Formats: sequence, structure tokens, C-alpha cells
Amino acid sequence: MSQSKNKKVRIALFDFADCEGCQLQVTYLNDQLVGLLEHCEIVNFREAISERSDDYDIALVEGSITRKHDEERVKKIRENAKILIAYGSCACIGGVNGLRKKFTQEEAKDIVYKGREFPIDVGEPRPVHEVVKVDYFIYGCPTNNEETIKALKSILIGKGYTPPRYPVCVECKLKENVCLFEKGQVCLGPVTRGGCGAWCTSYGNTCYGCRGLLDKPAQEGQMDILKKNGYTLEELKQKFETYNLCRMMGEQNATEKS
Amino acid sequence: MRYVSLQKDKLPQFVNSLQKKYKVVAPVKKENLFVFATIEDPEEVELDYMPTILPPKKYFLPQHEKLGSFVKDNVAMADTNIDVEPTVLFGAHTCDIEGIECLDIVFHDTPADPYFGRRKKSIIIIGYECMKPCDEYSTCVTMDTLNPRAGYDIMITDIGDKYILYINSPEGMGIIGKNPIFGKVENERDVKTKLLKLREDKVKNFKVQIDADYKELNKIFGTSYNSKTWQDVGKRCVSCGNCTAVCPTCYCFDINDEVKLDMSGGKRERVWDSCQLDEFAMVTGGENFRKERSSRQRHRYYRKFDYSVKKYSKFFCVGCGRCTRTCMADISLIETVNELAKEHKNAK
Repeated sequence: MSQSKNKKVRIALFDFADCEGCQLQVTYLNDQLVGLLEHCEIVNFREAISERSDDYDIALVEGSITRKHDEERVKKIRENAKILIAYGSCACIGGVNGLRKKFTQEEAKDIVYKGREFPIDVGEPRPVHEVVKVDYFIYGCPTNNEETIKALKSILIGKGYTPPRYPVCVECKLKENVCLFEKGQVCLGPVTRGGCGAWCTSYGNTCYGCRGLLDKPAQEGQMDILKKNGYTLEELKQKFETYNLCRMMGEQNATEKS
Repeated sequence: MRYVSLQKDKLPQFVNSLQKKYKVVAPVKKENLFVFATIEDPEEVELDYMPTILPPKKYFLPQHEKLGSFVKDNVAMADTNIDVEPTVLFGAHTCDIEGIECLDIVFHDTPADPYFGRRKKSIIIIGYECMKPCDEYSTCVTMDTLNPRAGYDIMITDIGDKYILYINSPEGMGIIGKNPIFGKVENERDVKTKLLKLREDKVKNFKVQIDADYKELNKIFGTSYNSKTWQDVGKRCVSCGNCTAVCPTCYCFDINDEVKLDMSGGKRERVWDSCQLDEFAMVTGGENFRKERSSRQRHRYYRKFDYSVKKYSKFFCVGCGRCTRTCMADISLIETVNELAKEHKNAK
């Protein structure tokens, strides 16, 4: 984006329904923040500073949007910001908050707040782009600082940022990991958007699909792989629900309607 | 002196002597598989190994390679020299050495790539000859990469009771030098005959899996561009890019400019890319020249069996079997090529 010589780009961070872990990642940027602050100033960052401002250029929105009140708040942020970035899984794909969709509002209230008398406002968890226009997405649970920095730099110089469209397997193989399917585990790597540097699978974990389903998964091929390894689509879906229920329910509803 | 011998129990000593002057990279175990890695202890070296997950191309064409840097308001590239630590690639199979030969041809084609050239010059290759087949996926017999030919400095052959080392370059000679751990070979002609006999015999243990010989392969690909086989392969492919990452001769890369956070400058970096990924053949405006997985897979095969033959008179498949071994969707090079061979035969 363009900027005059003296004016710094004003960045604001906001959180909605989430654990604030992705904001915490920003604090871990340590000395990299110093470089960033040559050209930017952070004007809203509840996790780290007390100041507040409604005057900002870039808004990093963390968390999924649930209640009516949140909807209004994020719309206001959209109005104020020149660029809005959905930051982290909850903001980009709904994330773990999507699990709420397995229940009705009443059931969910009953499970979590049983016996509480005060009124509790709950809503439908949604990724940010279902409520307002999102310019850029930084995926991950939590976000990967290497990618965050790369994305911010690209956005600051006006190039924009497109996250990888390939699966986690690409980066996993470059790390020379032994494929988890070969070890008899269900890994979501083949159907999950890469860009994390195969974070989990390089440390002995399976992929949990936190960066969301690929835009264009090869359905037939993926089914073959599952079958070959003795897994059903149901088993895969169950694992995929952890982060992706918002999209899965959305697609299900769309199919039912059509 | 072209041959020396080495007692088997002296191999760690040999590796140790190399470590004094070089970084030594060799096959080591990783869970149930193998990878090339820098050796700390000579005992880590596993000479009886299956092809590693990634081929040794990673030392000649790193996954991330800095090509130079630039500063704000000056577009000229600076800092383009690379320092490569003198390295010995130890225990490379003949198929992998052939893979490095393929890269060497490509990167020395005009305009020659100085980065690859520098790395190639800094890496001494000590091969280890396969005496038995690795598994059912390799096609080294058909691709004619089973025996040592060229592209190495020293070749180690296990002749039963000891190793014979063939010295193939002045660099190789420099390594053997006057090191007392090596035994003198009395009659070089006898050794040569013995090795030839050994190779004649060992090939019998290798199963020929491709239903076409070396010379026919190119003709088969000449008539296979519109084969329905590509649709079948495309249906199964999930575009994970594993086949290209593990291929010893896949060298496609992307180049990225990374600016520093304070925007005062940045660096230019080369990274591995893959023709199997959706965005590989996408250009500005969104047009994608190989949108379908079938066309991307076909492209990969043609890069190995057709285009390279036309351009460099050389197959770019070295028969290591890695692409088949790594494919989650079980896309088999042997099955694909045999399917094409069958169609080609029937069409005649």
C-alpha cells in the first residue's frame, strides 16, 4: 500500500471468539517486531498494549464471529480499516469454534453453562469472511510467524499475499519425514492447505487440518488413498471436524438445499 | 594406479579420514527409511540402504538457495558469490550419480548456472555399487543405470571379502593418495576382469520390469500423448508433489525476492517447485496451461522419457523407483509405462 514518507502504517489487532494464541504469536516475533516498527505502529493490541485507537490502516482480525454484537463490531472494523486480514484458523475457517455447530444453541448452553441463571448471549460461529469482506488470509492454529512476517511484508510493499494452494504433504516431503500413512496413522496432510512448513508432522504428530481444506481436493484420488489405508470417509471427517466444521456444515446445508 | 582395495572393517577409518578434510554426507537411517545426512560418527553410515527419501540433489540444488541480495533504490544484485564447504557425498548409488549427471547437463547448458557449477565443483562423489536390487519399484536395468559409468570420483564395489575402489578422477586420486589403509592391487587387469564378471552375474538378480527395452521407450512416448492412461493416472493423483521432490532429475525451481522487515533491502532466493502443483503453470490473468492433474502427470513423464531425449539425447529417468515408492495414490511408473507400451504395440 502507498504511504507518505513520514506517516507510518497503523496496524491494529482485534480478537473475537478464540484463545488469543495467534496474538501471542505476534509477541513472539521479538526483535523482528523492531524491524516492522520502522514502518508501522501498532495502535490496538489488547494482548500487549493499553492504548486504543479507531484510526488504523491494517486490521488483523483474530477469532471467529459469533454473536450479533461481534458482527457489528467487525463491521465497524471493516469500515475503519483499509486492509482487513483474517488472522488464524478461527478467523479464516471458523476453527475449533465450529464444533459448537454440532449442537443446537440450547444444547450447547446446557452443556457449558448448566444451571447458570444469568442470560447468556450465544451465536453461530462463522469465519470472518462470512460477515465482512476479507482482503487477506493468514491461516494456522496457531499462525506461523515466518508466514505472518512474509505476508505482512508482501502486503506492506503492495504485492499482496496469497497463501500456498498445495497440500501439507509438499512441505512434509521436503523435510524428509516418513509418511504417516506408512506408519498406519490417519493424517490430514493430503487434504489440508500447506504453508505451515509441516509443523506438526515434523515433530511426530499427524496433521489436524488447522489450515483448512484445500480449495480443489482431488476427491476420487483422496478416497482411493483412504480405502487403500483401511480408513473410511467418516473417520476422516471426524478428524477433520476439529477445525473445519464451519465449512463442512456449510457445504452440507448447500447440498441439502439444492 | 586406478584400483585399490580396502578391508571391510577399515571402512569407518576411511570415512574418518575424509571427515578430517571434508563435510561428509552419507546415507543414514531415519525410522524404517534412509536419508542423506551429514555424518558425525562414521558408524552412522549405512551402505546397505534403500534409495533415500530425497536424492542427493539436495546438496547440488538446495531447497532454499540465496542467489544474491539487493538494497533499496539500487536494483543491481550484489553478494552473488556462494561459499560451499568442501564436501564428500559418500555411498551414492549409481542411479543417483546418473541423476546428478542429468542435472549437470541442464545446469551447464547455456547460460550455465554458476551456483550449481560452484556446488558441483565442491562436492566429491564416492559411489557405492549395488550388488542386489533394492525393491520391486526400481527400473535401473531398463534405464541402464545399474553399473557405474561416469560422474563419480571413486566407486566402491563389494567383491565379497573386501572392497575394490576404482579411482575415476584426480580428486579421487587425491583422496586415496598415500593413505596406508588402502591395499595395492597387484594386477589391475585381473581386477577389471573380475569386476566385469561380477557385473555380468549380478544383473541376473535384477528383474526387468518394463516391457520395453531402452531403445523402444522413446518411440512409445512418441505415440502416447493422447493415451487414456493419462486420464487414469490423473484421476488418482492428488497433486501432493511428492514424485517431483523425490526425483533425482526434477530441477524446476521458483525465484522469490524477500525484502527485509525494515524494507532497507532484501535477498533473492531460489526454491524447489513442482510441475504437479496447481499453480505451477498458472500465469498472470489466471490462465493455467496445465489445469488438469492428468496433463500435469503426463508432463512429468514426458520430461523423463521424451523431451529430455529430444533436447539432450538422454532419458531423465534413472530408474531409482522413488516416485512410485513415495506415491500415496500408488501411481506406478512401471505400470504406467507398461500400459503405454501395450497400447503402442496394439496400435501397430
